[in-house]
Amino acid sequence: MKGVSTVLVTVSPEVTAQMRPPRALYPKGFKVGNSLGKPHMRELQLSVLRDALGLLAENTRPGEIVTREYPDYGEYHEPPRTRKLV
Amino acid sequence: MTISRKCVPFTPFEGSLAKSTVALVTAGGVHLRDQEGFNIADELGDLSFRVLPEDVDSQRLMVTHHHYDHTDADRDINVVFPIDVLRDLKAEGFIGGIAKKHIGYMGYTMQLKAMYEGTAREIANEIDKGSRADVVVLTGG
Repeated sequence: MKGVSTVLVTVSPEVTAQMRPPRALYPKGFKVGNSLGKPHMRELQLSVLRDALGLLAENTRPGEIVTREYPDYGEYHEPPRTRKLV
Repeated sequence: MTISRKCVPFTPFEGSLAKSTVALVTAGGVHLRDQEGFNIADELGDLSFRVLPEDVDSQRLMVTHHHYDHTDADRDINVVFPIDVLRDLKAEGFIGGIAKKHIGYMGYTMQLKAMYEGTAREIANEIDKGSRADVVVLTGG
């Protein structure tokens, strides 16, 4: 098995960092349940998914979580903090 | 193979996105309406997963998960499982294709070892055999 390249979209960067995923995008301030943005905001969803896939072609450091901002989302939610069990 | 906590299982990406086939794997508890839902009654969580076909109608998908607010996903599943978004990216030529299989599971468990060593490997095998995916996009809730 050669392995498959992966990229994660996370809205819980601190919790995610514990698992050290190969590549990850954190859309800043998106709430849990809105990984790609809000319902029916297709342009925003497209931007997030393009950026996530784009990380594959960038020289990201393994385990790094890249933060990007999407003003069209229009809200800011504090991400969940690390708990003992996640 | 022993997976080290210090080692990130990084698979380099070679080639171009425009020629790549993409699969989605979500921990957001997504499944088809006519598939069995995830067991939210068990406090230990549910280690199973559902295979979602390439041509899945997003209107036929639903969420069973009790550890995040999926009200928005109930209105538009693409906020956690962006299958229609992926189709748009294929139409515009940003990616090459949509994988034959996608996966939904419930990413809440108290059985971390079983999830990591069992379910995760089964999902990887499912993707590896027959999905034709070059790339996997993972999402949570």
